[in-house]
Amino acid sequence: MTRRHAVYLFVALSLASLTMRAGDKPLVVGMIPDAGATQVSIQEKEPLKNYLSQHLGGPVNLIIPTNYNATVEALGNGSLDFAYLGGLTYVKARKQYGVIPLVQRTSDMEFHSLFITGNPQIKTLADLKGKMFAFGDINSTSGHLMPYLELKQAGIDVEKDFKYRYSGSHPATAKAVESGAVDAGSIDESVYNAMIAEGKLDKTKVHVFYTSKPFLDYVWVARKDVSKADQEKFAKAFTDLQEGKDEQILGILRGKKFVQASDDRYETLRKVAEELKMF
Amino acid sequence: MHWLMNLFTQLRLFFPPDHSWSFIWAERVPLLETVEIAAGAMVFSLSVGLVLALIIGARLPGSRLLYAALVSVRAIPDLTMAILFVMLVGIGPGAGMLAIAVYYGAAMGKVCGDLFVSADPGPVESLASTGTGSFTVAFYGLLPLRLKDLLTYGAYDFECAMRASVIVGAVGAGGIGTEIVGTINNYDYSHTTTLILMLVALIAVFDLCALAVRKYPRLLLLFVIGGIISAWECRPQMFAWSHTLDNLRKMWPPVIPRERIGDLPRLLGETLEIAFGGTALAVLFALPLGAMGARNLAPAWMHFPVRRLFEFLRAIPEVVWGLLLVTMAGIGPASGALALGLHSTGVFGKLYAESIENVQPEPVMALAATGGPRIAIASFGLLPLAFPPMAIHTLFRFEWNIRAATIVGMIGAGGIGGALYNAQQLFFYDQMLAYLLITWALVMLADWANGQLRKRWKVTEGLI
Repeated sequence: MTRRHAVYLFVALSLASLTMRAGDKPLVVGMIPDAGATQVSIQEKEPLKNYLSQHLGGPVNLIIPTNYNATVEALGNGSLDFAYLGGLTYVKARKQYGVIPLVQRTSDMEFHSLFITGNPQIKTLADLKGKMFAFGDINSTSGHLMPYLELKQAGIDVEKDFKYRYSGSHPATAKAVESGAVDAGSIDESVYNAMIAEGKLDKTKVHVFYTSKPFLDYVWVARKDVSKADQEKFAKAFTDLQEGKDEQILGILRGKKFVQASDDRYETLRKVAEELKMF
Repeated sequence: MHWLMNLFTQLRLFFPPDHSWSFIWAERVPLLETVEIAAGAMVFSLSVGLVLALIIGARLPGSRLLYAALVSVRAIPDLTMAILFVMLVGIGPGAGMLAIAVYYGAAMGKVCGDLFVSADPGPVESLASTGTGSFTVAFYGLLPLRLKDLLTYGAYDFECAMRASVIVGAVGAGGIGTEIVGTINNYDYSHTTTLILMLVALIAVFDLCALAVRKYPRLLLLFVIGGIISAWECRPQMFAWSHTLDNLRKMWPPVIPRERIGDLPRLLGETLEIAFGGTALAVLFALPLGAMGARNLAPAWMHFPVRRLFEFLRAIPEVVWGLLLVTMAGIGPASGALALGLHSTGVFGKLYAESIENVQPEPVMALAATGGPRIAIASFGLLPLAFPPMAIHTLFRFEWNIRAATIVGMIGAGGIGGALYNAQQLFFYDQMLAYLLITWALVMLADWANGQLRKRWKVTEGLI
């Protein structure tokens, strides 16, 4: 194949791929991988996908990127229309790509991060000195940002006083603590409680030894170019969810009730993120 | 030793693997995607790489600049390349395919360019004297001369691309890599084991195909057709040019915050520790194992299983070894070094065994005629003769391992790679570029040092 042929081939392929996109495009919904990112975790969310496509009146694709950064970038490059973000990822996506906050769980308004351990000798944050610690994803609010703040306020220098790693997701943190790979870790309260309730975590091996002060966390957003009508339909799909009626969907979303979200509420979080040099 | 203890207590969580058909059936999608990413990328990199190599081989104007550019591209870790392509074309196999296509296109161009430059000048000169264009001369004069070497290298590259398609999956570029990372992150180890076994089987099938192509070059046509279909299947769904340009702008100027500059020596030290440690460990393991795997030295009951062990170690990319060790044994350079060590043992083992097998038989037979014991014949006859090629393979691998050290660094082994990845994840793209430039300089330096050593030892670039 000569260079000219290669060029023709490339042009033909790109043209063909452009024409392919002209059809009825499904809306793409992304979720940060706070609870894992495998085929299995996508299959578990199938009912949510079906529910959304009913309410949006068209096909919906559900994607879970491998990390938080990729989820935000996907909102930036247009491969996602809606996304489920954490507090910290939200303020970043807002600043860089002007995403629009839509809805959040009532529990997100007063969210907590839990410090868990399997080691009975660890009773306070100060006992973490010299230990192995796991944060969640580096961009996680309840797994990294807020716990980092709590540790700092307790007089622990994260860079010097202990060894730490980023587990990548909340279930990973829980499992790392349960298995003893790390001495302790910080985790999202809703993920922890769900894992205990479903028996995915051994209650005899892990316990909570400290609960953070409340903060604002997760939110569902729209890319800024998504039509107003689609935004409203999407928000309504969530605010319509009722306890006792939509248990399956609410279970997947680990919530009870959804309310309108607004950007001003995130001011405090922005300041914390800036102060800790994560923003 | 804390991490070694951890390693053993966690190892049992991997057994038994989940062999339910429903799981294996569900994973056929990402597995196929991996094959498509690799095959599609190879069509691009083979065709583009070959053209570039011919330009270099024909010494067309600008070919020196082109060569330098290709060497540079090769010094960017493929994981970083994949991150950039995820920005450009979104999450999915398209990003993975393009990243590998660019990386291996450059590799193909450079290595085959080297092959052409060192080809016999006779036929080219006689063709050129007829007055045809220099590219045509290169096409008809150089290509046939090096066809066999090209096939060998192409097959080797295909295998590498297959592994690379697993690596890029770690950052969301699709395929079985995404699944392996996902299950490891979920501590869902029984599924991880299944996926790894599927990967090993896939690469074994691949090796067989590559062997067949080397025997019957015409089969290559089938691969090209398959590759084009795959490339079509993985075609990017979009090109977010303005978004990517925006992000590239955010990278400039590269900067390292003042409070982080003091960390640089430690970070560099860790990366070198991973690369040196990994290579040294592999040499240590592979020397006895390589001898045990040599068909002219070891009996069949020994060399057969040892060879399969090499294939297993080699089939699992450094990143996957790294992810496993980091999750099980903890973060830090020790896990990174062991990850490189395990993978490189597989590589060295095979190469060392082949070096021993390729030794000229006469001197050894002479020694054997004295009636000495087998072990003495091996240590005084075979091994000294096999040593030079073994040393060359080791040098090459060390250069590769510096690149690999930054990649396992990204997934938790620390060093420059870790700093690069954290900066990228936190959207500090200007810092990411700074660390990327440092990585790039490090790899280029290793490449250059290697070239100097080879020149001094008067060895030409062999195919490994």
